[in-house]
Amino acid sequence: MSERPSVIFHEVGGRDPIDAALRTRRGPGGFGRLDLLLRTRQALGLRATPAPALVFVPLGVLLGPHVLNLLSPNVLGHLDAVVSVALATLGVFVGLALNPRSRQDRRLLWAADLESTVTIVMVAAATLFLLVAWQAPVDAPPLAAALTLGICAAASSGGAAEVRGNLYHVVATHIAELDDVVPIVAGGLVLVALRGATVWQAGLLAALTGALGLIVGAAGWLLFERAHDAAERGVFVVGTIVLLGGLAAYLSLSPLLAGLVAGWFWRQSPGRADRIIRDDLQKIQHPLVILLLITSGASLEWSRLALWLFAPFVLFRVAGKLAGAKAAERLAAPVTAAELGAYLLPPGVIGIAFALNVLQVAPPVTGSAVMAAVAAGSLVCELLALIELPGRGDEA
Amino acid sequence: MKRILALVLVVAATLLARQAGGEGLRTAALGLGFALIAAALAGDLFEHLWLPRVSGYLIFGLVCGPSVANIISRSMARELQLFNGLAIALIAFMAGLELNIRHLRPRLPALLRFGWRTMALLYGGLFAAFWLSWPWLPIDPAATGLARLALVVLLTTVVASFSPTVTIAVITDTRSRGPLSEATIALVVLADLALILFFTFSMQAVRWALGGAAEQTVGMLPRVTWEVIGSLAFGAAAGSLFALYMRYVGRELTLVLLALCVVLSGVGARFDFEPLLAALAAGLVVENIAAPGSVALKEAVEQGARPVLIVFFAATGASLHLDALALVGVVALAVWVLRLVLIYAGTTFAARRSTIDPAVGRSVWMGLVSQAGVTVGLVIIVATEYPTWGRGVEVLIVALISLNELVGPILFRSALARHGEIARMDAPAPLEAVADPAGT
Repeated sequence: MSERPSVIFHEVGGRDPIDAALRTRRGPGGFGRLDLLLRTRQALGLRATPAPALVFVPLGVLLGPHVLNLLSPNVLGHLDAVVSVALATLGVFVGLALNPRSRQDRRLLWAADLESTVTIVMVAAATLFLLVAWQAPVDAPPLAAALTLGICAAASSGGAAEVRGNLYHVVATHIAELDDVVPIVAGGLVLVALRGATVWQAGLLAALTGALGLIVGAAGWLLFERAHDAAERGVFVVGTIVLLGGLAAYLSLSPLLAGLVAGWFWRQSPGRADRIIRDDLQKIQHPLVILLLITSGASLEWSRLALWLFAPFVLFRVAGKLAGAKAAERLAAPVTAAELGAYLLPPGVIGIAFALNVLQVAPPVTGSAVMAAVAAGSLVCELLALIELPGRGDEA
Repeated sequence: MKRILALVLVVAATLLARQAGGEGLRTAALGLGFALIAAALAGDLFEHLWLPRVSGYLIFGLVCGPSVANIISRSMARELQLFNGLAIALIAFMAGLELNIRHLRPRLPALLRFGWRTMALLYGGLFAAFWLSWPWLPIDPAATGLARLALVVLLTTVVASFSPTVTIAVITDTRSRGPLSEATIALVVLADLALILFFTFSMQAVRWALGGAAEQTVGMLPRVTWEVIGSLAFGAAAGSLFALYMRYVGRELTLVLLALCVVLSGVGARFDFEPLLAALAAGLVVENIAAPGSVALKEAVEQGARPVLIVFFAATGASLHLDALALVGVVALAVWVLRLVLIYAGTTFAARRSTIDPAVGRSVWMGLVSQAGVTVGLVIIVATEYPTWGRGVEVLIVALISLNELVGPILFRSALARHGEIARMDAPAPLEAVADPAGT
């Protein structure tokens, strides 16, 4: 079997030119995975790591205002624009991966949608119950705050060590890659609701996000293939992504959703727009993801509310992922619920990215509590995944 | 046609957002993305009209900026200017890469003689004109004696300044190479060095003449030395580190190059280094000592330069003050014509009395017309320290810059085209360079 034919490593920025030049490692088992994090090139961000959050979020905390202050609040303010662009880039990669042409692809997309929806509902319901019971001091509508945590919990990276030719691995990681779609779409609505918008307004603004994604996507499609040279094409690609992030940021909407719509448009439209944007964006994707994670770490503000939310987030995320895997078991065959649940444990980058987006636009108390709970919770889930993720198939 | 449709879509999306969001706070990425795509298309249109692309970026910035259509709002224009430091450093670094000392050395004495004669005539002519017309200039007509003398010297220094940034950007953008390009780069860089010295001394003279807190000359000299020598040393050190990275790692060169430019402009500014000089020194070290003619570096520069140039010139265009031009229009126009005539006369005079190539001597004035960031920086220093009459200097100079920005790149491109130097950067290396790669 060929090497993970239909999976795009849209989160960790894998398969960038540096990685392509290096020999692919077979995945080590158990605690041996920790060794991957200590390799110099990975630690420097020159190569994709299986769990980049474990390296770069703590690094962000170290560089941030509370420790070394190299990333002062002023610098973080300037990085706001870069964060929006990084979010749009992630959205584009998710959109590019969204191409359910075959029956098998559609089945896996349904499985991914189902398991992420189950996770969102479980985490949001539990969090809402606790917020009301504790009478927690949130400065946003409690339902929107609870849904935000559910959305952050729903994304998975499928960041297991690469295993060639293993069907279980291919199916499970593909579901994990595709389960970002529902959280991103739901996030587009919730982001607006967090600021107190009505359901009607939230729907309207989410539709506006999609419309902007389509308009910019169409402009990019008209330009990419007609560039006179590589430098001009690079300008169009970067300009399009920056505009996607910029439009969403200007209106306090979701750059992830705008990027997702544009990426999907390029994938579905005739021509080579999807390949051009993928090839060009891969050069900047990895640095952008690292910057996003470092910024997340540097932006962490611990509060009592964050501590309250942290433990339920981890607990209900694990429960939600296992329940989601059980719900999607029939669609994910031949992978069993237990196997799929283990693959869905690593949260990857999208959850933290969405939390950072929430921090940018939500009321401050809720925004910083969600950011801290999600970042810390994601690190714990990544560690759990490092230990739990099946190493089976190494021999395949 | 499809490009125009794309431009319409981009403008529509931006206007839709502006309409829906009012004057939002997070404007940086929107301004940047819009400028990148729309200005690139405007530059392309200008190239089809045989005009410099940088003029297209500038005019785009002016038309879409707060003075005219206001698609790029004042806050967006301010955010875009955050990229100026990076752009200036990158442009100067590219200039350094184009200056091959071995190639330039035989012509350097002639260029120096040519340069100082041109500058002497330009400074002399401007000084005389400002002295005689002082009562009619909108600065401080009541000033007399030493105060008037000091103010005239200061105004002369600022008006006479050139723009290495724009000159080098036109050369880079048109991929030009040849005697005219090389001579113009050398002249504007030397003039920039002289400007730092002249401005420091003329500001000191103004402080002394107007009874302000004049700095001790003994303290001023080390400061100027630090600024010039320190900048060159800092740039050379940074260039050496970059060369080491190229040799031993050599990956992601475009990103590392942009990071180098951020360091040269951001970190250098904290130590009062001149980013232009530091980046020029870095480029000189890389080209002349560390990695001459590196293909990988050439590709990295090409990838990084285009977007940076677009944003820089679009931001400059968006911040051009048409209101200032309207306020002092006639005086600014008169000073602009005078400066143009004196640059032409100065270069013609200097060309007759030096051994410089006569064809280059006849055309080089066209590369000296532009004025931009450096001059704005100087005039802001003056206006901040002397808000009363300094504001008059600021309005006059900003109006003058607006004219020079619009005309300078067009003139210089036509000179480069006349000399057949456009796109020669892409031509194969000369035979002498490849015939004996071992250098034996």
